[in-house]
Amino acid sequence: MYENNDPKTLTYVGKSALRKDVGDKLTGKAMYVSDMKLPGMLYAQVKKSPHARARIVHIDTAKAEALPGVRAVLTGDDLSYRIGLYIVDKNILAKGEVRHYGEAVAAVAATSLEIARKAVDLIEVEYEVMQPVLNHMDAMKEDAVLVHPDLGSYEYLESSFTPVPNTNIANWTKLRKGDVEKGFKESAYIVEREYDNPSVQHVPMETHVAIVQWGPRDTVTIWTSAQSPFTVRNLFCHTFSLPLGKVRVIVPAVGGGFGGKAGIHLEPLVACLSRKAGGLPVKFQATREEEFSLLPCRSALTYRIKTGVSLEGKILAQKMEMFWDAGAYADYAVNVTRASGYSASGPYEIPNAWVDAYTVYTNKPYGTAYRGFGHVEFHWGVERHMDLIAKIIGIDPLEFRKKNALRPGSITLTGEKITAHTGNVIACMDAVAKSIKYGKLTAAEKRREAETGKKIGKGIALLQKAPAMPSNTATAAVIKMNSDASVTVNIGLTEIGQGSTTALAQIVAERLGFDLDKVYVKLEKDTESDPYDWQTVASKGLLMSGNACILACEDMLRKGYAVASHILKAGVEDLAHDGERIYVKHDEENSISWQKIAVGYAYPDGESIGGPLIGVGSYIAQGLSNLDKQTGQGKPALDWTFGAHGIICEVDPVTGEYAVRKIASAFDVGKVVNPSLLRGQIVGGMLQGLGTAVCEGYIYDEAGHLLNPSFTDNKIPTSRDLPMEIETIAVESSQIDGPYGARGVAEHPMISVAPALGNAIQSAVDADLLHMPIRAEDVWRAMHNHHPIDNWITKTPTGSCRSDPAARRHTPDAAISP
Amino acid sequence: MKIQVTVNGIAYEKDVAEHRTLLHFLRDDLGLTGTKEGCGAGECGACTVYFNGKTVNSCMVLAVEANGGTIETIEGEAQDGVLSRLQDAFDRHHAVQCGFCTAGMIMSARELIHHTPHPTVKEIQDGLEGNFCRCTGYEQIIEAILDATGGYREKEELVYVREQ
Amino acid sequence: MIHQFSYMAPTELDDLLALLDTTKGGFKLLAGGTDLLVNIRNGLLKPDLVIDVKRIAGAGAITYDVEKGLQLGWATTINDIISSTEIAKHYPLLQACACDLASYQVRNRATVVGNIVNASPCSDMAPALLCLDASILVATATTRKTIPIQKFFTGVKQTVLQPREMVVGITIPSHTKDSKGVYRKLKRIQGHDLGIVGVAVAMVEGRLRIAVSSAAPTPVITDDLPLDVSAPDALYAVERIINPISDIRCTKEYRRFMVSEFTKRLIQEVRA
Repeated sequence: MYENNDPKTLTYVGKSALRKDVGDKLTGKAMYVSDMKLPGMLYAQVKKSPHARARIVHIDTAKAEALPGVRAVLTGDDLSYRIGLYIVDKNILAKGEVRHYGEAVAAVAATSLEIARKAVDLIEVEYEVMQPVLNHMDAMKEDAVLVHPDLGSYEYLESSFTPVPNTNIANWTKLRKGDVEKGFKESAYIVEREYDNPSVQHVPMETHVAIVQWGPRDTVTIWTSAQSPFTVRNLFCHTFSLPLGKVRVIVPAVGGGFGGKAGIHLEPLVACLSRKAGGLPVKFQATREEEFSLLPCRSALTYRIKTGVSLEGKILAQKMEMFWDAGAYADYAVNVTRASGYSASGPYEIPNAWVDAYTVYTNKPYGTAYRGFGHVEFHWGVERHMDLIAKIIGIDPLEFRKKNALRPGSITLTGEKITAHTGNVIACMDAVAKSIKYGKLTAAEKRREAETGKKIGKGIALLQKAPAMPSNTATAAVIKMNSDASVTVNIGLTEIGQGSTTALAQIVAERLGFDLDKVYVKLEKDTESDPYDWQTVASKGLLMSGNACILACEDMLRKGYAVASHILKAGVEDLAHDGERIYVKHDEENSISWQKIAVGYAYPDGESIGGPLIGVGSYIAQGLSNLDKQTGQGKPALDWTFGAHGIICEVDPVTGEYAVRKIASAFDVGKVVNPSLLRGQIVGGMLQGLGTAVCEGYIYDEAGHLLNPSFTDNKIPTSRDLPMEIETIAVESSQIDGPYGARGVAEHPMISVAPALGNAIQSAVDADLLHMPIRAEDVWRAMHNHHPIDNWITKTPTGSCRSDPAARRHTPDAAISP
Repeated sequence: MKIQVTVNGIAYEKDVAEHRTLLHFLRDDLGLTGTKEGCGAGECGACTVYFNGKTVNSCMVLAVEANGGTIETIEGEAQDGVLSRLQDAFDRHHAVQCGFCTAGMIMSARELIHHTPHPTVKEIQDGLEGNFCRCTGYEQIIEAILDATGGYREKEELVYVREQ
Repeated sequence: MIHQFSYMAPTELDDLLALLDTTKGGFKLLAGGTDLLVNIRNGLLKPDLVIDVKRIAGAGAITYDVEKGLQLGWATTINDIISSTEIAKHYPLLQACACDLASYQVRNRATVVGNIVNASPCSDMAPALLCLDASILVATATTRKTIPIQKFFTGVKQTVLQPREMVVGITIPSHTKDSKGVYRKLKRIQGHDLGIVGVAVAMVEGRLRIAVSSAAPTPVITDDLPLDVSAPDALYAVERIINPISDIRCTKEYRRFMVSEFTKRLIQEVRA
């Protein structure tokens, strides 16, 4: 929807309008599900597995059931439903076997939270503990314990995924472009390395919470802190074989999502408890500790990259192997694998490419969507690798990137041709390079080094991401005119803090030519009264819902013009409007106010025409296709958003402690709709990315117990962890099919912060870092050539996204052939 | 145990279980749900309230400890429907995204301003260290507090690179 | 909180001590509650009775006297330490350690006494108290005694305190006043975090002493060292008292390295 987007003629688009959703949030009045209490409501608690893998021998619930106040007790044997987004592999409560630490094995609903907790304590579970498979690289071995021996019999989405029966491979995404072997043969340099990172938590400030009432005649109402009410409804109805119309999902204010609330999680269990308790509403809210292990996390990744480069520094071939740690259930991890597979090279043109991306089951809490959808994790490898190659072949890392970056005419991994309107990654790179004065130290920086004894380094990393979504992803908007000529917008997209509500209101005000104060957007989402939206994920909201809003505006204007045409006795083509009225272009006095036609017009004699003005806009992703399962070729991307981060980092060359002095972040957003909102997304995403880069990660012991399921030992960035200087840069190369030229950018700021930091640290003290997070100790070890610590699955009381060093394929620092 | 507390200027007399936290007393017994629970273990600051003139994590205070005391929460921040200086600055600076940390954040900001009326950026960072925000990256919150205390210098939101 | 208990808040110290003497069943003293209430929430402690010690006049007092030194009450909070001008003037090391303890709103509740009776190896206040020769005043209904802090900690989360004893104050003697001291704590983030290691170096009456947290089962301190002690001698003295472990926060190798590195740097700093 490329329209006039000249900033000089736009009233609202491009301006920092105030947020539409903050009034209630600032005064404590906003209603979150965690704040809700319904008459007769019961409270649920779950009994969780203390083991990573065990056979459930016996569950004794008698004492719990006898406790006064207990209204329902459930175990896996009571339930015969399986759920799953793409692979239907998860029981609502574990049946027969538990597959990860923290998995729910029984649940209780009682008249108070305290009684529910007591009841859960009274449930006795006898386990036969079995040897778990914890490391995803071990799980790939032929003789590995199978997490899902029945994988071959599971229902799954066949158009997109390929599980491998009798293995732990939940999905194998393949991509083949050109001839890699030929490319390697022609290469002057071959550089091969392995990069990895552990699982991490999203940490929304509001933990997962749902209230469900299973009413008479199987009418179910669900209040949930979720990103995607329509997906919750679809999967819920699929699981329980209910008609969609009987299930209503309501999403009030949501205390953060970041992908962790994208799918369906607590709702089915809470629903079963409500049904068992005779239809009373039941509420369950995860504790912070449960958020870490009962609910899903982000998958760990091991990423092997082998790159062939010509003498001139052009990449000729690249072989990429991704091993994604799904944990115990496939959930979104299979789609993370797929989306990362087709984007695996980052924003570079690879003429000959080979990708094998595996989703691997292990006995750990399972992985789901998390801001960036795999791209945070694999860009760590890609962008560290680019610096490594540049170093080996003796070329400036920025120059090397520029030689290989996608530009108009380039062909992506999946065969898509980049155009001038796809976005400009080189402009992003140049902007951040300029901002941090990349490639040299200023006089002040040299002086600072001399004064402090610390080393200052600068690093850059690029990024790309497209929405990971089905080819038929759709959304809609309904705009209703109120009799005071204000409008209320209904969309299915949820407001989880990202600010879409405000940006979409600006687009509506702009397109209608109405005062922004007269545009209201319904904040609470309700599948019964709001139009369909696939999911609030993938940074697709602004583009898709924005377009739907524009179409709905046009529909409403068209309907208004039709009524006005009768009243004013003029052709619709002769009409124009402003925020107050519709008028005849050549006779401006001849006009009718919006107010008079908003809900139907009555002539002076009482005769009436028109009716309530309601505009409807539907938008579906266009031109996308499923990817060929053997070659990965096809069109998966609605739009690509490119970006870059540049970091100046100061490192203590003795201890490895470091501090980020400056970060500059640039994104080609097509068109800035609201600068304040955009900066909020960039800075918020950047700091979340810095958390991933600096300190966050799940640590397990060798039995598979999660050792850091709380803020005590799973730190996230605080206000003191902000880089000293932050610059946010918007590149605007219009997206032709974006609203006013805009494209999404919610996830992107989190991507590639870690490799920019790694590259900066390497440039400061030559610490060659292969895994994130980068703790001070990792830098110290890398600088002093100590053996890297491998404590993500630990032999001391500590654990790993990393495989046992002895079992790992030897990956030399860099295999170089001149 | 019967306790008497004054919350946002209103005196309450309530029977409360000894093991009930101040947070749950406020939320469940008084219906003041503006104060949030983020971790229940004193780490995240979402439950920060004023207790006898000082900020505390209300998840780590027993309701019975508040007997005879004075509590102020986010619900008492706006007076007669008019946003406080801090709330207004939070609005203008986009210092709120999902809003779940906001109540605690405003309580901590108020305490900071109380003892440091014109804080520097560093002092604001130190003062808010106990309040996690996963959305904003804190920068716009810091700016809002600077603005509310007269220390904010107008600056561009973004640097633009536009096609030629 | 799931665990139920009764609650008492005596208003006279004698009443409180008498209560300790006579109460049956398990009890816990509640000061700031920042450890106690987390432990009860997490099911690690299940007291029958919680006795609030803050309702007694003088519980949070800070008194300074040129002759007698500094006296802290049993409920003096960490932020009380930070805002005291007399402590700023005479015992700056106490403030340096206090500033690095948890977050602002936790410091509003957490007490100095709580920080030491909790006896965590990573206590932030212990290094300062060790360097400054603090004495712990311990009372029962019938007895009073003073225990030097060097003898107070006996192991991880363990002290010499007997079940019915209560710490009723901390004295920091006048001979350590105006001592220069510096503290450095290694954390995983810039924001509030438990110490991975903590090192305090103080110059007391012309001698140097080095206290270390998170590197042994208890916070530890070296014997007094000459002011001009050589770096190797100082490191040797520190090496002898620490015994770090590897855990999820850090390996013992890095702990050992950082203790020695902080020691070297802080000695230079304190001499400067």
